[in-house]
Amino acid sequence: MCAGRIKTAQRGTGEIVAFSESAVRNNAAVVEYCRTSMSALSGSTAGILGLTGFLGFGFYLFAVFGLWCLLLLKAGVRWEKYFTNRRTLLTNGFLGGLFVSFITFLIFEVSYSLKGTIPYSNL
Amino acid sequence: MAATAAHKFIFVLGISSLLHAAYSAAQHRAYLRITEQEFVGLPIDILIQGIVSLFVTMYGIMTLAGEFKEIRSTVDLESKTWETFRNCPSFYTFNHRGRALSPYYDPPLE
Repeated sequence: MCAGRIKTAQRGTGEIVAFSESAVRNNAAVVEYCRTSMSALSGSTAGILGLTGFLGFGFYLFAVFGLWCLLLLKAGVRWEKYFTNRRTLLTNGFLGGLFVSFITFLIFEVSYSLKGTIPYSNL
Repeated sequence: MAATAAHKFIFVLGISSLLHAAYSAAQHRAYLRITEQEFVGLPIDILIQGIVSLFVTMYGIMTLAGEFKEIRSTVDLESKTWETFRNCPSFYTFNHRGRALSPYYDPPLE
């Protein structure tokens, strides 16, 4: 068959649904894009606001949860049309995002504490 | 929720607001350094501006990232006719015995 590959999975109610793999992959790519952007942005925001230590980690958790809410807002009430599972949407790519977040946080924090300015600027 | 010019504007607005918050924070720290005070935290207005502009930017990025597709496979297939669905270019055969039926066919010389 030349149409995209098809996978099946069982819904919570027990019925078996066939999923189009290309659509699943497209949705995962959109979510991954959003997650990477959110990690970078939340890291730089934490750097700007000067949140260090556990406060910064808490801010990352807050950002991840906020992204989850935004994604569910985008998917709408019928999120089952787009995702098989709502919880994996929250937890997937947590550590990778944490790494990206930490790097961008460091850029701002080091720049503030060494030069006292915005990174890459001569204010 | 397709990406429109309004969403791009929201994204640019969020990014510039975030940069403005960064500039305000830098100025606040410079003020603290000059007056030789210890840094304990930013004023509440910069904090709120930073967090709000983070979410505004994120909303813009989320709409620019692309649309979700419905994952049920029948949705993908029901808009296609049987002819398009059956069409497999990789399995086309051009060199088969049907050419012998053509009026212009030259049998190969033995």
